[in-house]
Amino acid sequence: MTAETVAFAGVAVVLLGSSLAVVLTPNLFHAVLYLAVALVSTGVVFLLLDAPFLFGVQLLLYAGGVVTIVVFAIMLTERLVGQTIRSASRYLVNGAVISAAVFVGIVGFLVQAPRVGVRPALAGDLTLALGRALVGPFALVLELLGVLLVIALVGALYFTRSEA
Amino acid sequence: MPLSAYLTLAALVFAIGLFGVLTRRNAVGILLGIELMLNAVNINLVAFARFAGDLAGVIFALFTIAITVAEVAVGLAIVIVIFRVRRTVEADHLDLLRG
Amino acid sequence: MSLRVGSAGVAMLVLALPFASFLLLALVRPLRRSAVAAATVSITAMVAAVGAAFWLSWHAGRRVPLQSPSTTWSWIPADGGPMATVGVMVDEISMAMAMLITFVSLMVQIYSWAYLHDEPRASLGRYYAYHSLFAFSMLGLVLSPTFIQMFVFWELVGLCSYLLIGFWYDRPSAARAAVKAFWITKLGDLGFVAGIVMLWAAAGTFDFWDLFRMANLGTLPHAGLPLIMFLIYLGAVGKSAQFPLHVWLPDAMEGPTPVSALIHAATMVTAGVFLVTRAFPLFLLVPGVLTLIAWVGAFTALLAATMACVETDIKRVLAYSTVSQLGYMMAAAGAEAPGAGFNHLLTHGVFKALLFLGAGIVIHVFHTNDIFRMGSLRGLPWLWGPFVIATLALAGVPPLPGFFTKEAILGGVLEARLMVPFAMLALTAFLTAFYMFRVVFLAFFGRGPGDAPAHHHVPGLMSGVCWTLAALSVATGVAMARQVLRSGHHDGAPAWLPAFSLALAGGGIVLAWAMYQRPLIDPARVAGALAPLDWAARRRYGIDAVFTGLYRFVLLAFSRLIGWLDRYVVDGVLNALSALTLRAGDRLRRIQSGLPQDYVYGVALGALVLFVLAQWRLR
Repeated sequence: MTAETVAFAGVAVVLLGSSLAVVLTPNLFHAVLYLAVALVSTGVVFLLLDAPFLFGVQLLLYAGGVVTIVVFAIMLTERLVGQTIRSASRYLVNGAVISAAVFVGIVGFLVQAPRVGVRPALAGDLTLALGRALVGPFALVLELLGVLLVIALVGALYFTRSEA
Repeated sequence: MPLSAYLTLAALVFAIGLFGVLTRRNAVGILLGIELMLNAVNINLVAFARFAGDLAGVIFALFTIAITVAEVAVGLAIVIVIFRVRRTVEADHLDLLRG
Repeated sequence: MSLRVGSAGVAMLVLALPFASFLLLALVRPLRRSAVAAATVSITAMVAAVGAAFWLSWHAGRRVPLQSPSTTWSWIPADGGPMATVGVMVDEISMAMAMLITFVSLMVQIYSWAYLHDEPRASLGRYYAYHSLFAFSMLGLVLSPTFIQMFVFWELVGLCSYLLIGFWYDRPSAARAAVKAFWITKLGDLGFVAGIVMLWAAAGTFDFWDLFRMANLGTLPHAGLPLIMFLIYLGAVGKSAQFPLHVWLPDAMEGPTPVSALIHAATMVTAGVFLVTRAFPLFLLVPGVLTLIAWVGAFTALLAATMACVETDIKRVLAYSTVSQLGYMMAAAGAEAPGAGFNHLLTHGVFKALLFLGAGIVIHVFHTNDIFRMGSLRGLPWLWGPFVIATLALAGVPPLPGFFTKEAILGGVLEARLMVPFAMLALTAFLTAFYMFRVVFLAFFGRGPGDAPAHHHVPGLMSGVCWTLAALSVATGVAMARQVLRSGHHDGAPAWLPAFSLALAGGGIVLAWAMYQRPLIDPARVAGALAPLDWAARRRYGIDAVFTGLYRFVLLAFSRLIGWLDRYVVDGVLNALSALTLRAGDRLRRIQSGLPQDYVYGVALGALVLFVLAQWRLR
């Protein structure tokens, strides 16, 4: 029982629990909060995988930005202000069956693959390597990403403008 | 922990997210499910990157996160506009694509 | 224009003239609507055609033997030479027929102008157009050098018959009669075309001259030839109203009387006899079929004669008489004496047409076809003269041509040792004289209700045409008499034959006189004595009923079945397919619910399917 195994188990439990909560809570607002928890635990998984930079990014963008956006959206799309935001689900059984089938399908591939248990040695600082890669071979992709974000921003603004 | 553990975890989260997409009635709820699915994908990518010693996976994950943020923004903008027009965001009522 | 016009060219001219008249009348509407113009065009063309036909007979007499009398051009191409040719064949029989056709057509067309004077103008124009087409078709038939060209014109003649019989198409009886004629002759034509094609398959050619040469040299394949010639004979059975396809001819009297004179006396119905005469070298190879032809001909003659004895409609009597005489001609051909039959065809054509036209006069005077309603024209010999002359000719009284040609046929049949047909034909001769004079005595010299014929204005054209034809008959008869007296008696015929046939004719006339002119023998008692025969003859021996029954219960039922199949099976399949498509489309439409989550379901299911496929491949 190494520390890593314990940590993994704990994070896994939290992640799975909060994920289930996200999809099962009737109250949408609670769901968003549970999502925040799930996102943070994902970040911890990244930490366990020796990617601290990604942990930071996850917290900043996902747990910070996305959650905020969603909260705002919920607020803006409820008819009655102040009332508890309720939301029920449809066809639970069908959904459960399909999801379970997909999971089984994926795992089916997993069990056929050769087992990989050993991590190779870390070759230097990940963050530094990431930085070098982003301005090096992946510079173009980075720029394109920037363009994409601008487009998304403009698009979102355009959509939601009030008709003058 | 072996690679398969991480991959199984990711698969579970993915399945849960799919369940959320399929069963939630509220449009925002559906988006939450999508978020979970994308998250699972990211875990997969980083796990593969770590166990293969390749940086590309991490970079891929980075970009995925960024793109997801953009997608969420636009998606919620659409939801807001729909709400303005139809005064509802219940998915059952949004059947304009009906053939 | 060259000085010496070849006979083929003149033959083509004979064909072209009525065709041009028809085209002109068919295409130029104002010309047709004006009856005067139409009649002028048609009659003028006919006069020119008569002239050309006469020229043909005059100049094309000397023919080099062993040379084909046909002039042809290739028509249907095929490997190794044309499959069929088209052209003209000018020999004795086609020249004789051409003269008969053109002359009688001309007479009838002139007569029609007076007879149909009360017709609406446009209708009359249509009448003349049909006449021109008919003349063209019939001439084409007799001038054909090949079976297939003859068949084309054969069918065209059938079409003209339909058009002319059903000329008054708004009369249901006329329309029915036209259709009946068409169907019955079509039945024979089926055999005809089958025979022609089978002959071509066996011999490789449609051309008469080539076929005759093959027949002479013995290179014509013998297998199946009797069947082939029988099938070809079937065409003649239909067209020439032999038993059992004779039923259309009496009903065809629904057409105008001049039409009956032309096509049901002299020309169209003789096409069958012409066919047998033309193809005689081929028929010689199958003596069995010839014997059948003789028997059927004789039987038809007798059958029709019995039916004529009980008819009251003057045109029907003449129709049955025509059937009877056609039987005579066929019997002659069957007895291997086609020349005798053909001569009878020519003479009969003239005096039968005359009979019809004369009947037209008496119908015009009394406004009825029923001989028992006609009265006395005793004091008007210029009205009954031609009819009586023609009747004498038909009965077979010398020196009129009927006597000589009929006697020649009887001689031919006797020579061929066909005893029963001879007996039938002899009895028919007796009956012919009887029923024809029955008509004469009742219609012209009778004491019917149509008495007091004081002012019966008969147009000069009508009686003029009749007298012309009568004069022609007499002249022909006298010429024949002179030839017989000069050349001694016929070779082969027994010496008692002329006296015998004269006795038959005389006996019939005397009997008719005794029954209808003087009340010496009561017709009712004679009918009573022959009660079953009388009963059957009045009902046309039920043959008509058989055909009607076949038509209604076999043909129409079959077409109803086909119609049902077409509507419910063929269309049904298509309708079912389209309905299925529509319903399937409706059902499939529900997949497009418009709800995004349903589409995600679809994607997930698709992904699952792909997983399964991939797993399966990995194995």
